[in-house]
Amino acid sequence: MYDLIIIGGGPAGMAAGIYAGRKKLSALLISKELGGQPVLSANIQNWIGLKSISGYDLMQSIEDHLRSEKNTEILIDDPAVFIRKKGDFFEVETQSGKVFGTKTILVATGSRRRKLDVPGGAIYEGKGVAYCSTCDAPLFEGKEVAVVGGGNAGLEAVVDLLNYASKVYLLVRSDVLKGDIVTQEKIKASPKAEIIWNAEVEEVKGGDFVTGIKYHDKVSDTSKELLVSGIFVEIGLLPNSELFEGLVDMNEGKFIIINHQTGATSSRGIWAAGDVSDGLYKQNNIAVGDAVKAVLNINSYLNSLK
Amino acid sequence: MKIKIYSTPACIYCRMAKEFFTKNNIKFEEVDVAADRRAAEEMVAKSHQMGVPVIDIDGEIFIGFNRRDLAEKLGIK
Repeated sequence: MYDLIIIGGGPAGMAAGIYAGRKKLSALLISKELGGQPVLSANIQNWIGLKSISGYDLMQSIEDHLRSEKNTEILIDDPAVFIRKKGDFFEVETQSGKVFGTKTILVATGSRRRKLDVPGGAIYEGKGVAYCSTCDAPLFEGKEVAVVGGGNAGLEAVVDLLNYASKVYLLVRSDVLKGDIVTQEKIKASPKAEIIWNAEVEEVKGGDFVTGIKYHDKVSDTSKELLVSGIFVEIGLLPNSELFEGLVDMNEGKFIIINHQTGATSSRGIWAAGDVSDGLYKQNNIAVGDAVKAVLNINSYLNSLK
Repeated sequence: MKIKIYSTPACIYCRMAKEFFTKNNIKFEEVDVAADRRAAEEMVAKSHQMGVPVIDIDGEIFIGFNRRDLAEKLGIK
């Protein structure tokens, strides 16, 4: 029987593992992999204490720190697939069929990219529809491409693509950009970038590979098509909270509702932290701080059981 | 066994795959498809898609970096 099982291996999960180790809890961290979403960030410039670091290097250093805390066991490549409440305790079952008992659970499963849910969106994934501009932008050298989404991630995809593509259309649903002003200015200054406002994507067109994107122009109320060979999608996040459906209260977007003083969920014995929680700001620094707060509260709870 | 990885410079999954090979003392050839157009075309022809990394192990094509699949193929515990 563990004191604590942490589910998830991103910034929140690993920070929790480090603090659990320092509190000498018997803890187990279960995750498909260590690193989480920041791994894909080419350059993180807001991690407190470091002016600039790649997401990969940052998560490596957090992983090294975690692995130095010998009290926290780590199980990767074998994600949790089922949680059972057994009286005051819980059982966590993993993909390979292992079952672990625990007094408390910290949910740190994070969130994932929302996929482009229109005809052609799924069929052409990898065949022109892409979700990692830092990875795949060079394959669109000299080609015309579209980016869907006017938030920060969309703007950054445009900047990545301007290094390679001959033309980058940015399709935005509203008539404003939400991302950083500095990035907006960079895009507006480029003759290769064109912003298409009030555009609702309707369909991905193609043969073997993507050949175009059809969208609805909400102002003129007509459908239009752009001939592009790449479509980079940055339309927000979905919480990885399916496993906890029915166990804890969630908001409309299926983010887990927590007490923001303690990280506790509606269910006694379960806490949540990071991007899966209903916190307003999804940031590495915040995920880490919230996870630490939750572990401190879990420690008090465990002491109160003694 | 001949291993070829098609990658781009800023691709993190490519880096993970290369570190996985290195850690397990497995030799591989790397081609940067950002710099080499013909290699990029070869990669798309082999994998029928446009995402990196693509790993060719003796003609068997692996798209993306999946530690478990590669470990199984290479007999790594």
